[in-house]
Amino acid sequence: MIKKIFLAVITLTFIVACSSSSSSDDSPSVSPDNFDRGALLTNLADNIIIPAYQDLSEKLTTLTADKDAFIADANQTNLDNLRASWLEAYKVWQHVEMFNIGKAEELTYSFQMNIYPVSTTDVEANISAGNADLTHVNNNDAVGFPAVDYMLYGVADSDAAILTKYEDDKYKAYLSDLVNQMESLTETVLTDWTSSYRATFVSSTSNTVTSSLNKFVNDYIFYFEKSLRANKFGIPGGVFSTDPLPEKVEAFYNQEVSKTLALEALAAFQNTLNGTYYSASATGESFKTYLTELERTDLSTLLNTRIDAARAKVNLLDDNFYSQVNSDNVKMTEAYDALQLVVVSLKVDMLQAFNVSVDYVDADGD
Amino acid sequence: MKKIVFSLFVASALFQSCSSDDDGGQTSQVEAPTTYTFLRDGNSSVSYSGQTTRILMAEELVAGLKVETNTEETLDAMFAHIEGASDFSDADLNASDKSVRSKVAASTDFFSANTTEANEIKADFDGWIASQVNDVFPNWSFTAAAGEAGALQQAGGGTTRYLNEKGLEYNQAFAKGLIGGLMVDQILNNYLSPAVLDAGTNIADNDSEVLEEGKTYTSMEHKWDEAFGYLYGNEADAANPVLDVDQFLSEYLDRVEADEDFAGIASKIYNAFILGRAAIVANNYTVRDAQAEIIKENISVIPAVRAVYYLQSGKNNLGIDNASAFHALSEAYGFIYSLQFTRQPNSNSPYLTKTEVDAYLEELMEGNGFWDVTTNTLDEISDEISAKFGFTTEEASN
Repeated sequence: MIKKIFLAVITLTFIVACSSSSSSDDSPSVSPDNFDRGALLTNLADNIIIPAYQDLSEKLTTLTADKDAFIADANQTNLDNLRASWLEAYKVWQHVEMFNIGKAEELTYSFQMNIYPVSTTDVEANISAGNADLTHVNNNDAVGFPAVDYMLYGVADSDAAILTKYEDDKYKAYLSDLVNQMESLTETVLTDWTSSYRATFVSSTSNTVTSSLNKFVNDYIFYFEKSLRANKFGIPGGVFSTDPLPEKVEAFYNQEVSKTLALEALAAFQNTLNGTYYSASATGESFKTYLTELERTDLSTLLNTRIDAARAKVNLLDDNFYSQVNSDNVKMTEAYDALQLVVVSLKVDMLQAFNVSVDYVDADGD
Repeated sequence: MKKIVFSLFVASALFQSCSSDDDGGQTSQVEAPTTYTFLRDGNSSVSYSGQTTRILMAEELVAGLKVETNTEETLDAMFAHIEGASDFSDADLNASDKSVRSKVAASTDFFSANTTEANEIKADFDGWIASQVNDVFPNWSFTAAAGEAGALQQAGGGTTRYLNEKGLEYNQAFAKGLIGGLMVDQILNNYLSPAVLDAGTNIADNDSEVLEEGKTYTSMEHKWDEAFGYLYGNEADAANPVLDVDQFLSEYLDRVEADEDFAGIASKIYNAFILGRAAIVANNYTVRDAQAEIIKENISVIPAVRAVYYLQSGKNNLGIDNASAFHALSEAYGFIYSLQFTRQPNSNSPYLTKTEVDAYLEELMEGNGFWDVTTNTLDEISDEISAKFGFTTEEASN
């Protein structure tokens, strides 16, 4: 139904676009407006994407160092330090997961960093076999932050028992491989941005299915719909299943930070919408200013209002989404519903305003 | 929404059937009810429990193909069930004298004088079971690769698919092949055929309302209902079919209906079933046969659209997410297999012959099969199938 409305709207847009072209000058631009897409892409790359990757890279360097210390001496202090740096890195991860473009897309970076729930069966099999190919598609759910979550909080019932696990070199080896791989992948993606991809990204300003802005905005919206709305809220809240699935929350084994991570993700998403710099409160060209140029401040205001409303709903939740789903799932589905309103504004209204088509379809589920 | 569309269609079908007088002049004599509800002396005269039973047996069998501890004997027994054998979890199925295998490639029009091909087709299904047990089950915990059977997970922690050495999921080949080999063949080439509807004294019996012994229906009425049952047999209320209630024809009619290029197909089929059944009650066999042709044409489209849809969705994931790609291509494989059971209206021919179907399947399985199939091959097969049915690859795949 939505697809039909959307098509009708697109068709209408085409008609409008075609009928107005006769009165415009004869420039060959495919862009339907005068907005400087290059400035938007430059702000995204220089002030948001690359700084976020740089910060993630630094946090993963710290994580690696703390991991090395823990491997050398698996005591409680080193475990606490390692857990703390895992969380710091995981928070920054929430700022880059939406940038599934360029090297990140090529490597299926996010599939190797944050697929949850983790398959503990696969993790344990990898540990016992040794030398697992962490890049293999079968291991997407046995690597990254969720696998480290399990390794640091879930391999045994108590901290003492967890420390005992690490008397086994195989556990040390797997933990070490996981963290090293996360750092190395991130380094590869960051280096690609700083060495060559930035130039490609900012210069691809046309309006085609393969141009930077079209791909980026699609990835951005898909991220919100799938990774933020569905994975963090909808799936554990049972929106797509008969019963709620609380064990599918992000950072399940930690049990305390699923809300922290979700709020981080929502903030990162909103900052990107508004062009807010990663490391400062300054802003630059963005989807928001693009909408202003198109005389659609009503829509950018609505988007921010709806994101703020969703944040208010998320703030009502327990720090531990697992407990939240079990104690009062209605609050969880209310947060989901508030996020769904944002999806509608993004996927229908914003894309229509930008005259960009959706490049992904919902899986048909069989 | 769907219901409104249905009733609009019924209304317009009625309107057309009443106002047009160039299709035999008898159409106006048949008044169709709005739902598939037919009564005799206050009792329903509709019966298709045997079809429901076979759909449920097929559901259990297909599920059983993914339980790696099952033996070939267990699965074969589910396929060729014998009355009283404890093959299923459902006691009613165990007690039944029906079996799935006996009705595969068993239509009067296509196979009564062609047992050789019927046996080849049954052997294909037997072979998929055997290969699943002997080649795939032993490799359940190994990683699949070109030339090696095993498991491959969809990217991003998705569903794990169990593949043969060429990337084919036998359970998908079996399930989607059964849509043609059982449901489509039985509906189009058996129960809607005059050879079956009019067999023996059926016309005379129907004209004078001679009922089957102890039943509320004539033999001809029952044959038509049995056709209906292979599509709607698992509906809770056949007066208001919701579709997608089994994983065979019901699910995929629902999918095709959801594609706006084919929207309306569900009500065309349902309304033709109603009008045809009403025509039997009215002893109007011209109208009955006209409805049968409508059903043949529209049901034939279902496996064709889905074959092209899955070839294209598989193509888009090739090399990116092979487990997803091969899953789609395995579905396509089964749907292509089903095309030999389709039926061009007003003819004795399928849209694609067995020879054509076998050639496509062979092409897909060449070398290492899905591991090295080219996008060109997938596009060519898509376009050729689309052309045969008069739609475009674009229409089927978007």
